Amino acid sequence: MLPLSVKDDEYKPAKFSLLLKLSGWIRSILSDKTSRNLFFFLCLNLSFAFVELSYGIWSNSLGLISDSFHMFFDCTALLAGLAASVVSRWRSNDSFSYGYVRAEVIGGFVNGLFLVFTAFFIFSEGVERALEPPDVHHERLLPVSVAGLAVNLVGIFVFQHGGSGHGHSHGPSQGHGHSHSLFNGAAGHSHHGQGGHSHNEQGGHSHHGHEGHSHHGHEGHSHHGHGGHSHHEDHDAFEDEHRPGSGKQILQGVLLHIVADTLGSVGVIISALLMQNYDLMIADPICSMLIAVLIGVSVVPLLRESVGILMQRTPPSLDRDLPQCYQRVQQLQGVYSVQHPHFWTLCSDVYVGTLKVAVAPDADARWILSQTHGIFTQVGVRQLYVQIEPAAM
Amino acid sequence: MDEKYSNNVLSGGQLGMVEVPNSRLTRYLVLLIITKILKALGVFESYDILKVVHIVQFIFILKFGSALILLFFQKPFSSGKVISKRQWIKLLKHSIFSCVISLLGFFGLTLCGPLRTLLLFEHSDVVVIALLGVLFTSSGGGPSKTRGAALFIIAVICLLLFDNDDLMAKMAEHPEGHHDSALTHFLYTTIAFLGLADHKGGVVLLVVSLCLKVGFHTAARKLSVELGGAKRLYALDNLVSSVVLLPWVIILSFTTESKVDSWSTLILPFAMIIVSLMILEFYVEAICNAKMEVQRCARYGSFALFSSALLLANFWTHPLTDQLRSMSKPLQGNSTEHVLSSGVLVSAIFFIMSSSILSSPSRKGQKGTLVGYSPEGTPLYNFMGDALQHTSQSLPRFIKDSLKQILEEYDSRQIFYFLCLNLAFTFVELFYGVWTNSLGLISDGFHMLFDCSALVLGLFAALMTRWKATRIFSYGYGRVEILSGFINGLFLMVIAFFVFMESVTRLVDPPNINTDMLTPVSVGGLLVNLVGICAFSHAHSHGGKSCSGHDHGHSHHGHSHADQGHGGHGHSHGGHGHGGHGHGGHGHSHSSGGGGMNANMRGVYLHVLADTLGSVGVIISTILIRQFGWLIADPICSLFIATLIFLSVIPLLKDACEVLLLRIPPEHEKELNNALHKIEKIEGVLSFRDPHFWRHSASVVAGTIHLQVMLDVVEQRIVQQVTAILKDAGVNNLSVQVEKDAYFQHMSGLSNGFQDILIMTQQMESLKHMNDGTCIM
Repeated sequence: MLPLSVKDDEYKPAKFSLLLKLSGWIRSILSDKTSRNLFFFLCLNLSFAFVELSYGIWSNSLGLISDSFHMFFDCTALLAGLAASVVSRWRSNDSFSYGYVRAEVIGGFVNGLFLVFTAFFIFSEGVERALEPPDVHHERLLPVSVAGLAVNLVGIFVFQHGGSGHGHSHGPSQGHGHSHSLFNGAAGHSHHGQGGHSHNEQGGHSHHGHEGHSHHGHEGHSHHGHGGHSHHEDHDAFEDEHRPGSGKQILQGVLLHIVADTLGSVGVIISALLMQNYDLMIADPICSMLIAVLIGVSVVPLLRESVGILMQRTPPSLDRDLPQCYQRVQQLQGVYSVQHPHFWTLCSDVYVGTLKVAVAPDADARWILSQTHGIFTQVGVRQLYVQIEPAAM
Repeated sequence: MDEKYSNNVLSGGQLGMVEVPNSRLTRYLVLLIITKILKALGVFESYDILKVVHIVQFIFILKFGSALILLFFQKPFSSGKVISKRQWIKLLKHSIFSCVISLLGFFGLTLCGPLRTLLLFEHSDVVVIALLGVLFTSSGGGPSKTRGAALFIIAVICLLLFDNDDLMAKMAEHPEGHHDSALTHFLYTTIAFLGLADHKGGVVLLVVSLCLKVGFHTAARKLSVELGGAKRLYALDNLVSSVVLLPWVIILSFTTESKVDSWSTLILPFAMIIVSLMILEFYVEAICNAKMEVQRCARYGSFALFSSALLLANFWTHPLTDQLRSMSKPLQGNSTEHVLSSGVLVSAIFFIMSSSILSSPSRKGQKGTLVGYSPEGTPLYNFMGDALQHTSQSLPRFIKDSLKQILEEYDSRQIFYFLCLNLAFTFVELFYGVWTNSLGLISDGFHMLFDCSALVLGLFAALMTRWKATRIFSYGYGRVEILSGFINGLFLMVIAFFVFMESVTRLVDPPNINTDMLTPVSVGGLLVNLVGICAFSHAHSHGGKSCSGHDHGHSHHGHSHADQGHGGHGHSHGGHGHGGHGHGGHGHSHSSGGGGMNANMRGVYLHVLADTLGSVGVIISTILIRQFGWLIADPICSLFIATLIFLSVIPLLKDACEVLLLRIPPEHEKELNNALHKIEKIEGVLSFRDPHFWRHSASVVAGTIHLQVMLDVVEQRIVQQVTAILKDAGVNNLSVQVEKDAYFQHMSGLSNGFQDILIMTQQMESLKHMNDGTCIM
């Protein structure tokens, strides 16, 4: 009764013209509020990175250039989120019978992996600097990190009060991006200032690179968090349109992430204070290592969840309910046993299950089928395939 | 504070072991940890004081001070039984022993410094007894305890051999020179007689005295029962030992001139040491042992102690802490402090691990295999053989098992051999780097290790793929290999990205490249990588070319950390790395041409190929730079290579993404379409709905389908036919739902339908369920 496939080229790139393709993409991006926000944020970041890069090339400052590359890397995560949010809206077709909804999970996974990479790099730099603490120029550190902290606090506040307010969540991410670029500007300037000598002198160069990198990495990290945030927000909204109940877990992961960011900016503030007042140069690498660990820890739940979904794990939220459901199915009249139960998550909160039920030869298959469907619909499995097999007597 | 604690102790001592709920235990834990931190502080402080105060005087003051306080709290004379003469003699022996042990301990402190002393001497009795049990009895308590003991021994050996301490070396120059007193001179000569260097002698001394301490504590238990409690014994012991030490101190103070300017400045530090080291620690340990299990106490205590010792060792000599200490510390001219070396760090980590392992109680294993569900719906597990007996597998057997698993299959075997080759090379490089003290080689080695992580990931995925399906992962772990391929691909992309950026930077500002040692290394690297490619693309074995593999690894390393700024070396590296990546692209096309490889192997293969072409890139750019002086060749080469890698990784990523997005397997697409047509033509089938087929792993293609059939057909026959048709098309995990009823179709159609109807259905279903419930139960 439903058509096998819907040929729908509205969201799919046309084959003949690049221009058409681009305009189609842009239209589909702009049609949804969250992906639009993500897109503007990405544009802001990218344009800033380009300005930085061109200025760096023009003024031949190595620090600025490498900084802008780090920004580009940050943007890729944002890009992954944006692509996922667009792709996940594509309709299903012959080849992709489930549609592209899983793109959001993959997007979250890629984002998480990138965060892990970032954390790893920050950590290794922290170790390097702990062994050989460089002089850090901390003049501009404090105001920037205070601004970052304020932004993160706003983010936490927004997250704790209702995940559904898109306008709200958009606000902080913009503001955050702003502070990010502001920060980069500051770091870049300091690089530029010392650019001339840092070139020849290996130590000086690496110091500058480190400074820009670690703080930048931190900021970039929080910016990632926001990217991920709006991404998830997006798919929550997507879910909301279709089905009641939203994936609280991913939201929680994002909140955790932002908390880690906040702690990170607190760490930067503390280390800046320590450096300014007591000349404790070791504080900076220790703080950046701490931040890296925090990032790593905060990403773990997100990664675990998305890996679980991608590996067709039995949904953790159903873990407890499923045995009861099996029990109830087995108590239906004529059912002998339940075999080969496979339950997995398609995208957040859409569960798919397959089940084989061995029944008595004289049992009413139709009744058992509808009962089984009823039982599993109640716990939230909406796509169920029940294969009724009369047991060989 | 003391008063409060002692009250607690009294009540705790009277009640004995009390079962306390977990939430209340945190209080004691926090108390314990604070005490341990204070203790570490006390040891550091006493190390400073021991520089100016003679050791015997120091111990006397400690014992005397704590005896005064303890006498006040415990009142050993007014309370409890009267002590007989025989018991007094025992007490005298006891306190002489305790004096000797604390003498040895503090002498070790002067030799080794506070951090090493804390690490060696302050182990809880439980830990040491477990250690000795493993070492000297046959039934040590299982493989995990053996592991703990091994860690402990490694840690001690680390301290002995790999701890290069400048101060210690300085002290070792005059071991037989003039010393303050006859006692220290005697100990020095003893150590020198044993043929050990000075600080190593200190380590040995501390280990011996640790064993003595534990034996002493065990032996003292009987005496403490006789005397009426450990606390009374402790108080009396302190008193008696201070009396024993008194004549010696008097003689000392007459024969040698004191180095101390004014004793009054030392009052505060002494009070702090006495409270933290002697009183507080004793009482809190007693409470915690009474409230919690001893093992848990030991675990948390030693962890807190060691980590605070590490932190303190780092910050003790810092100017800031010097400022803080200056009010309580006597002035001293030369600041000879023991430094943190990597040997100490490693051994501290090992000590923490070993003490947590040794003090962990042995648990019952809870691993079983899922059998099925009971009629009540609870999962049933099968506990076979050793699942109940072993808390943890013995390490050698675990290694043996996993090796066997690895070598069983071709894929993992290939990865494993290549990993071994790479690792061997890395270690040779690292050792050579350490030996020749070349920073470039060492950092190259570390980058090599980082590269090995991709191989390790691939190996792990290849192993994990073969795990059996569990209740949670009902389809098995086959998808791990796709995920691993995906991650490897992403990894390569990130690397390519950074190489690209780096080379753009270089394009702006071409650096000077030192090409001296480049060519032989990169040629070797090329050879090794070629070996790797052969290994992964063909079924041949490649035993003989390990040396080239080493070379390869070297050149590869060089590449990756070009941006670190090691000068010429780094630059050459950068160029190299790029080249390697470019090769990766090449390798990819190769592998896709071969076909039949799973994503995991493709990812690993790509990585190796990237390395290989990297060395080619380095060789080419080196030649260009040498012959023509084209410095720009290096960044251009890198750019080219990065682009190649990027392009070559894309197909792998695309394939992996398709699998992860649950696409219909492209190679089965046509057959599946034909099969669906055939299904429609089966007699009795009206239509089908929601056909979903997806590749779960390399070997599993899963599928689900809804069939609408006529009312009068036999379902079973149709299910069998459909299963057979789809099996021919490659689907091997299928479930078919057969529907006969128009109403039911409608109802199940809701399951992917709209919100409001769904709510309605849910209500309907719940009503229905209630009815059913009444009729069934």
